[in-house]
Amino acid sequence: MGKAAEVFLGILTAMGGFVEIGELVFTLTAGTRFGYRLLWVCVLGTVGIMAYCEMAGRVAAVRGRPVFSLVRERAGFAAGAVTLVASLVVSLLTCAAEIGGIALLWQLVSDGPFRLFVLLAFAAFAIVVWVVPFQWIERVFGLGGLMMIVFAVALVSIGPDWSEMARGFVPRATSGGSSRDTLLYAYVAVALMSSIMLPYETYFYASGGIEDDWKPQDVTLNRVVVLAGFGLGALLSMVLVGLGASFFAPHGIDPQAPATAALAASDALGRTGLAFALGGMFFAFGGAAIETCLSGAYNLAQFAGWPWGKHLQQRETPRFTLAWIVLLLLAALLVLTGIDPVQVVEYSIVASVVVLPLSYFPLLMVAKDRHIMGSHANGWLSNVLGWFYLVLVTLAAAAALPLFFLTHEGQG
Amino acid sequence: MTRPLHLLREVLDHEVVDVDGVSCGMVDDLEIEWTPHGPAVAALLLGPGAWSRRLPHWLRAPVRRIFGSAIVRIPWREVARISETIALRSRADAWGAGALDRSLSKWIARLPMS
Repeated sequence: MGKAAEVFLGILTAMGGFVEIGELVFTLTAGTRFGYRLLWVCVLGTVGIMAYCEMAGRVAAVRGRPVFSLVRERAGFAAGAVTLVASLVVSLLTCAAEIGGIALLWQLVSDGPFRLFVLLAFAAFAIVVWVVPFQWIERVFGLGGLMMIVFAVALVSIGPDWSEMARGFVPRATSGGSSRDTLLYAYVAVALMSSIMLPYETYFYASGGIEDDWKPQDVTLNRVVVLAGFGLGALLSMVLVGLGASFFAPHGIDPQAPATAALAASDALGRTGLAFALGGMFFAFGGAAIETCLSGAYNLAQFAGWPWGKHLQQRETPRFTLAWIVLLLLAALLVLTGIDPVQVVEYSIVASVVVLPLSYFPLLMVAKDRHIMGSHANGWLSNVLGWFYLVLVTLAAAAALPLFFLTHEGQG
Repeated sequence: MTRPLHLLREVLDHEVVDVDGVSCGMVDDLEIEWTPHGPAVAALLLGPGAWSRRLPHWLRAPVRRIFGSAIVRIPWREVARISETIALRSRADAWGAGALDRSLSKWIARLPMS
């Protein structure tokens, strides 16, 4: 494949894989409850995930070493182990949320028992990860996720108040609301940012770079894919905020269940719209379910020095293979306990934001270190953004749990 | 030409790779012995028995109950090269590293497309 085609495919894949269930739920919630007023958080979160994924991808390309091994080399065993355990818990919760979301989608299409769909999803993804090569998993689910562009078409055909939407990009506090409104606004803002900057994405992205055999000359490819792919993906998240504001709020629908998003597409574009929306969500959630369970296994294997990677045969990477299977299974079992899948989404997002500083700090230390990265160490822009977002996510992490409880788990 | 080796930065917590390029774990600890020339590294220590010693005291007992306390000891003379990873002159199984991988691998190899 030509270089241009590879870049183009990378961009589309990154775009299609950008939105997953937590992000879908919280963009719609933000739009429904606060109109366009939280759009600025989408921009803030997107620049943050771009900055950190660019660093992670660059570290992987330059050193050919997985980020989690470097974390252990730099931070030592104990600090590395804390980061590892936290990242595993979050990967598990996120994976469970995606599997639950898919079971809900299937239930919408064909009326059947929820638990059966959970088991089917587990079996389907286990077979996909076992059989399909890494690049094709990335492409099929990434490109399939692009079907969610139907939401952008729906938004345009609904015709939102564009000037009001544009004003949403300027941060504002809630105007004249009660303190409860302010708390809820802060909670949704923090959750929305967390859902865009999910910690597993950074590590998965870097491990993917090693799976794809990136070399130091690929740092530009990495930069272009991150900027263009995530930039376009972020547009999709803004579209979802817009749909919350211009469709769900006026209709008085609270889009808590992820599948309700499809309503907006079917209302505006009929059955075709509905099909595209459901298909897009399936690939987006499915891709994220696979990525989270692989990401947990990558982290564990890289921390412990086990052979790892989808580019090897499964029998060459026994403990890594066992790790992703166990993670996927545990995630499915978690959903099978009967816990509300929407609640799992919420927990996974809150847990993620608490873990974010732990995952970002070692990465920043490695990426800016000239001994490790040589001439590819962070420039001033990466350093400024890196420190800014590290402080920001630390504040968000400190605020997340109090806000979660003060707003009664986001119910206001 | 020799240069000083920074054991904590360049050896401890680095990945150990055997002569076939197979990862066989991380350097979890170092064994130091006293020689006529002063202290010297005698061996690389890998495995739960080695890394559990680096955890806070209260965590050690429960961690050892779960992961065991096996230690793989690889004599320092087996180290061929120290760069991104610690490369060995021999195969991992000569030292008992990756035993779990080999037995698991046999099971996985029975499955289709493994």
